[in-house]
Amino acid sequence: MKRPAVWLAVVLLFLSFAFISYRILWLRYPAFPTAPGKAWQLHMEAYIKADQKEISVMIGLPHTDAGGIVVEERITSGKLTLNLLREGPNQVGIWSGDVGPEEEVISYRSTIHMAHPPSSRAKPPKPEPYPASVGRREQALAERLVRKWSQLGPPARLRAVAATVAGNWGVPPPDDQDLREWSAFQKKHGRPEALLVLLRAADLPAQPVEGLYLIESISTSLLVWIEVWTGRHWENLQPETGEIYRKSVSFLPLTTGGLPAVRVSHGQLSKVRWTLTQQIISHWRIHFERIKRSNRLLDRWSLFRLPPEFQGTFRILLLVPISALMVCILRNIVGFPTFGIFMPVLMALAFRNTGLSYGLGIFAGVVVIGYLVRRWIDKLRLLLVPRLSVILTLVIACITVFALIGNKLGLREFMAVGLLPFVILTMTIERFFIITEEAGVRKGFWTAAGSAAVATITYEIIHLEPLQLTFFVYPELLFAVAAFQVLLGRYTGYRLSELIRFRKLRSPL
Amino acid sequence: MIFKVTRWLKDVGILGMNRRNAEYIMRCNPRSSFPLVDDKLLTKRLAEEQQIPTPPLYHTIEYHGDIARLKKVLDGQRDFVVKPARGAGGSGIVLVTDHTSEGFVKQSGEVISWKDLTYHISDILSGIYSLEGLEDRVLLEALVHPDPIFDAVSYRGVPDIRIIVYRGVPVMGMVRLPTRASDGKANLHRGAIGVGIDIGKGKTLTGVHRSRIVTYHPDTGNPVSGLQVPYWESMLLMAARAVDMTGMGYLGVDMVIDWERGPLLLELNARPGLQIQIANQMGLHRRLELIDRAPSDIFSTPKVRVAWAVEKFKVSDF
Repeated sequence: MKRPAVWLAVVLLFLSFAFISYRILWLRYPAFPTAPGKAWQLHMEAYIKADQKEISVMIGLPHTDAGGIVVEERITSGKLTLNLLREGPNQVGIWSGDVGPEEEVISYRSTIHMAHPPSSRAKPPKPEPYPASVGRREQALAERLVRKWSQLGPPARLRAVAATVAGNWGVPPPDDQDLREWSAFQKKHGRPEALLVLLRAADLPAQPVEGLYLIESISTSLLVWIEVWTGRHWENLQPETGEIYRKSVSFLPLTTGGLPAVRVSHGQLSKVRWTLTQQIISHWRIHFERIKRSNRLLDRWSLFRLPPEFQGTFRILLLVPISALMVCILRNIVGFPTFGIFMPVLMALAFRNTGLSYGLGIFAGVVVIGYLVRRWIDKLRLLLVPRLSVILTLVIACITVFALIGNKLGLREFMAVGLLPFVILTMTIERFFIITEEAGVRKGFWTAAGSAAVATITYEIIHLEPLQLTFFVYPELLFAVAAFQVLLGRYTGYRLSELIRFRKLRSPL
Repeated sequence: MIFKVTRWLKDVGILGMNRRNAEYIMRCNPRSSFPLVDDKLLTKRLAEEQQIPTPPLYHTIEYHGDIARLKKVLDGQRDFVVKPARGAGGSGIVLVTDHTSEGFVKQSGEVISWKDLTYHISDILSGIYSLEGLEDRVLLEALVHPDPIFDAVSYRGVPDIRIIVYRGVPVMGMVRLPTRASDGKANLHRGAIGVGIDIGKGKTLTGVHRSRIVTYHPDTGNPVSGLQVPYWESMLLMAARAVDMTGMGYLGVDMVIDWERGPLLLELNARPGLQIQIANQMGLHRRLELIDRAPSDIFSTPKVRVAWAVEKFKVSDF
């Protein structure tokens, strides 16, 4: 008898566990969807002016493969047409079209969650050839200059090369002729490029990056730095001074590989501004966009795909089975009486609009008034259905009067009762009356207290946002809830109330 | 503390609500048989077929329109009982002992008018007392005049005797004594006293009143224990036979003792309460397990089953 139920529970638990593991391990869902994560909000705003009719503005934009997860992108393009394009490792937004003589504003806004460490960029790049502008002679020169460090490990080599920007060439110093030639090269190509050539000569994979410091800031220009791969991770180099940024400094790259982050043809940007602000959001929101775009089966069948106006309902609905489980526990393990089985759950759902204390207060008020009227009505000898209808009308009248009083007192909660399920109130009044008549007022109040307790617990459960989100992200948790319900269905032990009830037996036996 | 008490209840063999529902009611009582016991009219007809005596039926009312004819039916009857066919726990039952010019005198002495009575009957018909709120029928039965043995320990009303029967074997019995609080009704949750009965001899044991153990009736002050229940042996047999006709494995059989007609079957209860354990100072579970371990030949006839129960469950030989 017991075994099939236990097996069913085990299967349900396993299903739940399997689905969740699949999502976490393969689809990379957050294990704790409600743990707060730090995210950045990037806001770019640019004013553009066209020289000719057709203008084209290309701006590097953050994207998910660049180490962070970009969610909630919003782009405005004014009169221009917008295209999003992949250009090498970069994502570029291209605004193009005819803006006329006036200034046009384009903007971009997104929320970026930076992963630590940036996973997709952890792989070392392939060694790149020297830029075409660098001649063979200059390559040989650069290689000569760094040869003495070839025995050092990559981090030390990087530090030695970086120090040359400040003129520190170490011992023994290279000969004067080479140094003179190198400063000429530096002047001709600029320090950043010279540094890149030197890093290439020292076999250190490196690339120029344009972007922003990842701190709360407003910038009107972008930062250029050089990323150098030192065997295990990237180090960031200030190209003008050769300074190596400390690990604690983080960046938001917009374009890598030497492409300028902002390019304009047939016009200019009169003003451009990047604003970075930090915000705390939960992990689920970070994953929200990703799930929405994913093509995996479970992602396509995710509740996140529902139209947003229905999502709220399901966030609540998914928790109702937990409330039912609570009712099972309270009735079958604790032994607390309630009006009806799921009536307290419906009560709790009704309290969503009014809040708990007002909801319970209004409920108690209507039931007391209804009870008094019901006692009096008993003398009128009304048949069952018409009598219940009278009480229903009374309930509606009470709610209406409460709303009017609430309006006078400025209490919105009194007016929000409109959605309180009046049928439940009606049946509660009738049941309360019958219980008090048949089993005494005490029993009636105990039952009312039990119902209020379940309603309160249920209300608190369905309003726990972390729980809501967890169930919303992992609806298969319902299997687990069902498993516990099945197990409770086979609980044949004593109820807590029975320990008290049969305590009387103890002494004489 | 909790574990100690749980352990102790288990050792004593107390049956809890959850186990009763899952392992006895749900396992032994087929759903299809429930209407037979939930509807008193069906139970009555079934009992008549088996020649098990029940209180004489005067009339049944099925439709609101029938109420008009009520006056004629009740004309010759001084006292009678109004009962919903599908009522639970004694709700909706009115005992009428007499007529006066103002109306009917209830068992409690209260007088209700003709209008009150018809109102009550139409309430029953609308299903207010029925188990699922379905439309119901009304039984008008002869009022039982109880055997005087319990007069000293009842406050008005009719005491009744409940015997729990498992697989046809009587397990435990108690007599339910009305009190002032129970309005003449013999239902424990309304405040009646339950007094355990020794299966062996039919002598009353201790009483339970609202989950307190009592030895005296709260209204009459007389001791409730040590009374000899008349017709005990034949009532055990009646209970064992009554169960056979329903196909149910776990039943509460409610009987009354009329001083003229002897024991009568009142109703069957597919969900008998657990309070009987307190009245008997004894756990049901232990006895139920004894029956499950018993050799199969004891189940052959009601007589054999009763004999086995008397032998196994007798309290002592005093």
